[in-house]
Amino acid sequence: MSSRALAVMSPCRTVVALLACASTMACEHKGPEVSIAAATSLRAVMPELMHAYDLAHPGSHSSATYGASGELRQQIEAGAPVDVVVFAGERPVDELIKEGRVDAASRRIVATNELVLVGTKGGPPVTFETLLTLPDGDRVAVGDPRTVPAGEYARDYLSTLGEWDALQPRVVTGANVGAVLVYARRGEVAAAIVYATELRGVTDLVVKDTAHGDHAPHPKVVAAAVHGGRTEGAEFVRFLSSSAGGKILASFGFGAP
Amino acid sequence: MMGDAVFPVLLSLRVAVLALAIVAPAGVALALTQARARYRLRRLVDVLILLPLVLPPSVIGFFLILVFGRRGAIGGLLDSVLGVRLVFTPAAAVIASAVVAFPILVKTVQPAIEAVPVELELVARTLGLSSIAVLLRVTLPAAWRGVLAGLVLGFARAIGEFGATLMFAGNIPGRTNTMPLEIFTAYQTGDDSRAALYVAILTGLSVGVVLVANSSGPRAMSR
Repeated sequence: MSSRALAVMSPCRTVVALLACASTMACEHKGPEVSIAAATSLRAVMPELMHAYDLAHPGSHSSATYGASGELRQQIEAGAPVDVVVFAGERPVDELIKEGRVDAASRRIVATNELVLVGTKGGPPVTFETLLTLPDGDRVAVGDPRTVPAGEYARDYLSTLGEWDALQPRVVTGANVGAVLVYARRGEVAAAIVYATELRGVTDLVVKDTAHGDHAPHPKVVAAAVHGGRTEGAEFVRFLSSSAGGKILASFGFGAP
Repeated sequence: MMGDAVFPVLLSLRVAVLALAIVAPAGVALALTQARARYRLRRLVDVLILLPLVLPPSVIGFFLILVFGRRGAIGGLLDSVLGVRLVFTPAAAVIASAVVAFPILVKTVQPAIEAVPVELELVARTLGLSSIAVLLRVTLPAAWRGVLAGLVLGFARAIGEFGATLMFAGNIPGRTNTMPLEIFTAYQTGDDSRAALYVAILTGLSVGVVLVANSSGPRAMSR
């Protein structure tokens, strides 16, 4: 750059140029948009659902952010601009309803899931009941019960088995169910407690045990429209409850509601 | 519940002190080397020292897992030979804190040592002191302000570590939930008062550190 050019490019112009760049990065789609806050366990199926929804509603453009349901709940509570929530449990949705952030009338259970214990293929057999017999130093990955529904289900189930407290020294908590799965795939833990749907397309892990019995948890996928969000939010929930949505969810391993 | 709230405070203090115990001797030694010695790879070492200061914490966390994870070069060895697994342990938190504190300590202490006139050291040598004695009795005492600033800044960085710690040590309640991680969790679970407690402690600590480091002479900080 010649010194003349440098002199011409005053600080003001640079700032304006930067702001223009930033605003184009946040450019708005011109048709109806649906902004979805989805639990991490839905990260594989949600793109398909969004695609099918957009096809059924021409001009529409849906987008999703993923995270632990508790984490997303906190963001929405703080005012995140989301139209619909699809969480892996009832509690975070109900808490948002209680706070008036989510529309109770739109709440639907759209699918169910199963809690499973996974480990590496070819590894030793282990069940929910025999977790305490794992060799010393072997650890078990579980979602953080404070923010991850899968972790909460695991804690409650293991508590009814009388193992939760004794298991604490071995427990490694993940920020979301995806992280828990990754810890198992990396071999950092001997076993992990995730949803059955997490294993779709995963070949290096196998299900060692499925939660069963009277105290087995019944994970539910719950959707609801956010107050103050676009009306398309409620439409998306209806889509999830429809047979079209149900079929896609079933194809990804989710159970019927 | 009370003990449960105190744990992150004690853990953070333990982790930072241990990290500093590792980093201080090595860091001061390296600062002395970089300040006084002239050797072929000096510039490369300079770059390597600075690297953790510039790398994003998540990148540092990634590298730590790559190296010390179960399938990593060093981690795999530690596991098969000693049965030691570092990931998700308080030791991992110490390592992460040490890695990020190291460059700050070195880069604060080094200019302070460079500011000590070489003549002082030469005179000490002519008076019969050995090299080590010169370092310990002349150089470091003369540079004490910079060494102190380096120590407190290193401590502050160590206790404030978040990203690399989260990835390498995890955020496990009762085991690796240091104060910065606990603030994040408390915020995410809507426990603002709990978050505020640790925010207050860390802010107070940071203010103290800045006061000490700043008063430890513009010489030490401005180079």
